[in-house]
Amino acid sequence: MIGTATGIIRALNSGIKHLAIKRFTLRYPEEKLKFVGDGYQFDPSTGVGIAGLKGRHLLFHDHCTGCQLCSIACEGVAEAIAMVKVPEEHKQNKKAIMPQIDYGKCVFCGLCVDACPFYALYMTNDYELSSFSKEGLIYTPAQLQVKPYVAQDSEIIITSRGATHG
Amino acid sequence: MATELPSNIKSSDVLTDQTSSKWLPPGLALQKVDERIMTLNVGPQHPGSGHMRLIVQIDGDYIVACDPDPGYVHRGEEKMAEYRNYITNIPHLERPVIHDSCNVLYPYVLGVEELLGIEVPERAKYVRVIASELNRCIYIMYWLAIYGIFLGHSTMFMWPAGDRELLIDLMEKMTGARVTHAHFVPGGVRNDLPPNFEEVCLRQVAYFEKRIKEYAAVFYDNPILIARTQDTGVLSRQDAIRLGTTGSVLRASGVDYDLRQKEPYDVYEELDIHSNVMKEGDSYARSKIPWLDMMESCNIIRQALQKMPKSGSVRVKLKPNPKGKGLNTVYKRVESGRGSLGCYIVSDGKPEPYRVKLSVPSFRNLIALPYLLKGEKLGNMPSVYWSLNYWPVEADR
Ligand code: SF4
Ligand code: SF4
Repeated sequence: MIGTATGIIRALNSGIKHLAIKRFTLRYPEEKLKFVGDGYQFDPSTGVGIAGLKGRHLLFHDHCTGCQLCSIACEGVAEAIAMVKVPEEHKQNKKAIMPQIDYGKCVFCGLCVDACPFYALYMTNDYELSSFSKEGLIYTPAQLQVKPYVAQDSEIIITSRGATHG
Repeated sequence: MATELPSNIKSSDVLTDQTSSKWLPPGLALQKVDERIMTLNVGPQHPGSGHMRLIVQIDGDYIVACDPDPGYVHRGEEKMAEYRNYITNIPHLERPVIHDSCNVLYPYVLGVEELLGIEVPERAKYVRVIASELNRCIYIMYWLAIYGIFLGHSTMFMWPAGDRELLIDLMEKMTGARVTHAHFVPGGVRNDLPPNFEEVCLRQVAYFEKRIKEYAAVFYDNPILIARTQDTGVLSRQDAIRLGTTGSVLRASGVDYDLRQKEPYDVYEELDIHSNVMKEGDSYARSKIPWLDMMESCNIIRQALQKMPKSGSVRVKLKPNPKGKGLNTVYKRVESGRGSLGCYIVSDGKPEPYRVKLSVPSFRNLIALPYLLKGEKLGNMPSVYWSLNYWPVEADR
């Protein structure tokens, strides 16, 4: 019986100690997490990626040759990439086709980035992609070209009074 | 039969008389029941069963029989694997347990490496060990949070769910995704560690370890938890072996069998691993073993970070669409967060595998459930059920 009482007091005590511990929760829309790097990138010459968040893609129109390798890589994953005609002309892109990505299907695996041999497709830190319509989730080559602005301020800080997102 | 049948159904197709009910498989035919016995369907929508149904027969407050009915989240992962090549299989094969995605993928990747004859760089092996130990902790924290809420201990739901964030943050830095990392590939890992990772990892893992030690006072040494879980659902050593259980369930029954020790893969043989064993075999022991495992994982991460080559390649370059050499089979297994997880791959020399079969620990531990619940009180059912370290989606594949 004494054991039970001390056990319960110890449990309560442990809970009470937490009143003095800092808040760990991230207040999301006001605070945003800091990520390493500018997003996941891949170097085809060495075959190794560069660490970064796998978020929305970034397409470099002046590198893309329309070779469709990204679309073929995605075929076995999510079929999220469709090759579409673009109005502009680039001399490396004779067919004038570039990938268009449907974020309703994409699983953010980054295998398309691994497949691109011309450093044309990277991923960025942009993860806020929600939309009110299904069409809004389809990003055309022109939209993929835009470099996103991502606010990043919080990372985990560990102090003697506990961890917090500061 | 007063009501009229719809026009597209013939009356001869409808079972009306007793003789045609003989066609029905035995489980579906009507059974004579004892008046005292009541059948209770727990699930499939009930939060206390996961995505599955437990058909429990009770006599008053005591369980007479339990028939687990999994299969509600079957996705055909094994069949899907036959239509995709060895690389594009990666994202979907880690879906069965998204919290433990590195460990679910691990046996597949090891198997493909053997089929294709790939030699993995040393640094990549260490990175994989770190990723898989971090993932194991993330999985166990999630499991522990649900175990807490199953027992009505909401503090034990909040704390693990929050402290998991420390490790998810590390995985996010390492792989670029918070869950479903798609980080392991045949030939190594997708990307090298980010700069400064070791320091951050050591700091957060040390704090994480300090936090999980605090769970002892509030949960594991809590007399209320002990009273509720001790001596419930006892699985003896012989039964644990006979029923083919694995992982924490097997080790809670006194069998020292941890694949990281007994059949080391990658660089586990170079690390000093201590496996946690308890003799009791009750729900309490089964819930404590994963917690002890997390502390062991923290040790392994520290050792791996210390022994890891400081630079070097992490991935060998593969040809696009790699093929196996002729007809070949391979079976590899690893210790996942739930127990031994095996993957059997058959290749017939094409870029796609001929067959991929996952042998999952969740399904093997579930087999023990009817034996454990017989004679238990209904109120103990959630704690016994979840102590089996069971993940419905993995069992269904
Ligand atoms: S990240 Fe994966 S799912 Fe998304 S477009 Fe690329 S290959 Fe397809
Ligand atoms: S993004 Fe890369 S892989 Fe895709 S079409 Fe352009 S060059 Fe080819």
